[in-house]
Amino acid sequence: MSVLEVTNLVKHFPIHGGLLQRQVGAVRAVDGVSFSIAKGETLGLVGESGCGKSTIGKTVLKLIEPTSGRIVLGGEDITALRPGAMWPHRKRIQTIFQDPYSSMNPRLSAGTIVGEPLENFGIARGRERDERVARLFERVGLRPDAMRKYAHEFSGGQRQRLGIAKALSVSPDVIVADEPVSALDVSVQAQVLNLLIDLQEELGLAYLFISHDLAVMRHISHRIAVMYLGRIVELTDKRTLFTNPLHPYTEALLSAATAPDPRRAKRKKAIVQGDVPSPANPPPGCHFHTRCPYATPECKVTAPPLREVAPGHHVACLLR
Amino acid sequence: MTALLEVRDLHTQFNTLDGVVRAVDGVSFDLASGETLGIVGESGCGKSVTALSILRLIPPETGRISAGSILFEGNDLAKLGEQEMKRLRGHRISMIFQEPMTSLNPVLTIGTQIAENVVRHLGVPWKAARERACEMLDLVRISDARRRLGEYPHQLSGGMRQRVMIAMALSCDPQVLIADEPTTALDVTVQAQILDLMLELKEKTGTAIVLITHDLGVVAETTQRVVVMYAGRKVEEAPVLALFDNPLHPYTRGLMRAIPRLDLDLEQAGTRPRLQEIPGLVPRLTQPIIGCAFASRCELATDRCRAEAPPVIDAGGGHTVACWEARP
Repeated sequence: MSVLEVTNLVKHFPIHGGLLQRQVGAVRAVDGVSFSIAKGETLGLVGESGCGKSTIGKTVLKLIEPTSGRIVLGGEDITALRPGAMWPHRKRIQTIFQDPYSSMNPRLSAGTIVGEPLENFGIARGRERDERVARLFERVGLRPDAMRKYAHEFSGGQRQRLGIAKALSVSPDVIVADEPVSALDVSVQAQVLNLLIDLQEELGLAYLFISHDLAVMRHISHRIAVMYLGRIVELTDKRTLFTNPLHPYTEALLSAATAPDPRRAKRKKAIVQGDVPSPANPPPGCHFHTRCPYATPECKVTAPPLREVAPGHHVACLLR
Repeated sequence: MTALLEVRDLHTQFNTLDGVVRAVDGVSFDLASGETLGIVGESGCGKSVTALSILRLIPPETGRISAGSILFEGNDLAKLGEQEMKRLRGHRISMIFQEPMTSLNPVLTIGTQIAENVVRHLGVPWKAARERACEMLDLVRISDARRRLGEYPHQLSGGMRQRVMIAMALSCDPQVLIADEPTTALDVTVQAQILDLMLELKEKTGTAIVLITHDLGVVAETTQRVVVMYAGRKVEEAPVLALFDNPLHPYTRGLMRAIPRLDLDLEQAGTRPRLQEIPGLVPRLTQPIIGCAFASRCELATDRCRAEAPPVIDAGGGHTVACWEARP
């Protein structure tokens, strides 16, 4: 049973212009996206900048309102909930950011920061809160006496552990992790990825894991959705995605990724040319047709639907 | 091999509120003409400061090259006057950075910016310099080059801006191009295009490249020789195949085991193997490091490692490692 189900999610940001600041267009950041995540599962959202992956994260967290579509969290429709009504549901869906430092009050101690949600949700106060925070610190690999320190006294990896502890404090079912290891050095990145996997296996957490890094994605995800300009172009389990990619964009991403193996290299890798078009003015038909090496005239006019071509393997391409 | 650039025992320091930071602490390496040398390491290892030192771009208010030499075309860049450095920069040695937008002037057209460099260094008239700028944009495969000359940086995408930076850097046929994380801010598909372009241009122009990156994948696919840095020191140097086939320093080995891999066989369905962690943190560079800089995180460390700086061991074939415990 899925803990998070998203159906036909759309998020358009209006563009205002002209003398009267009328709406003159819209950035179609998310353009009809559907997926679900089961308990204990990691769904990876991968794509390049502007593909809408972070907007999906913010929308399912209800930090921004969807334009249309449906978000069901643990069986309850939260799509239209106003901030007040959303409040009790926030315990069940938490987030980890790329740069946890920017979300931490520099004048509060680390213990206070991590313990804040416990007080806000009326879960624990005073000594009980402190004890819980100490346990959380231990769980994420920080020494409990670090509770008295301030955010600036921690290294990047330790701050990410603080961010994880804070997200875990209210025992959520789902964690939206938006590029949680992108700012970290490789050796520290490994520590945080291992921690996230351990916590998932221990607590049955579901992760919506957003990243541009295919190798990280392959390591942590069970299933992966590849996004391009607001749409999912391919969605399948990771083994299938990496061994039998069907969408030309997935192919391009995989061949463009570098690998730490000098023998693999020394060949032409860039099979697509140019940059990603602007999501304010996406190409008609299949969004990828302007860069696709296989595009046909049909691709320029018809937007391909996401079809299930094999059990669990969904592709949006007219040619596959 | 005659070296084009010889860096010897380079020390660069910064004065901070916490004390003197030894950002580069005795680094030596050579760059041969026409080769691609990678400098790899994690944040704070001194790789970018090494590059800035070569170009003498260390801000004099806070930092200085405190010892060592940088020999290039018969001059020691560490001691050269600012006027002479100005004649070298952008001409004999060029540099491109991670974020092209911060290196481009937002109020000048890209044609003017490229031509400016050509006028200044080659002394040609503006008209000829603009022709050269047009050729350079063609060379970095910006379509419709003549029209693009009149555009401003904000009108270009991130990948295009990096192409403009490369065009500018190569406009005076430099001997050395220093590229500091040139593709880190770019999307994967654009990164592949830029790396391909840099290698292709290197073949065409014979410019030697120093590629500074944290990304072992980029190093593996683009460089011929690699210097691995840790805490301001060079811990290992090797031809790229030797480094990846047989990494000798415990830090290099640790890094290679810590990265998630795309190219290896998929694990058993349902299981996710643990990545190898490097425990602990990089040492603070405000205190002098006694012994090996990596000793506090190294599983092989002995008392000798903590007391005495390791010797540089020659493993043959241009592969050297600074470690007491490495067994070549």
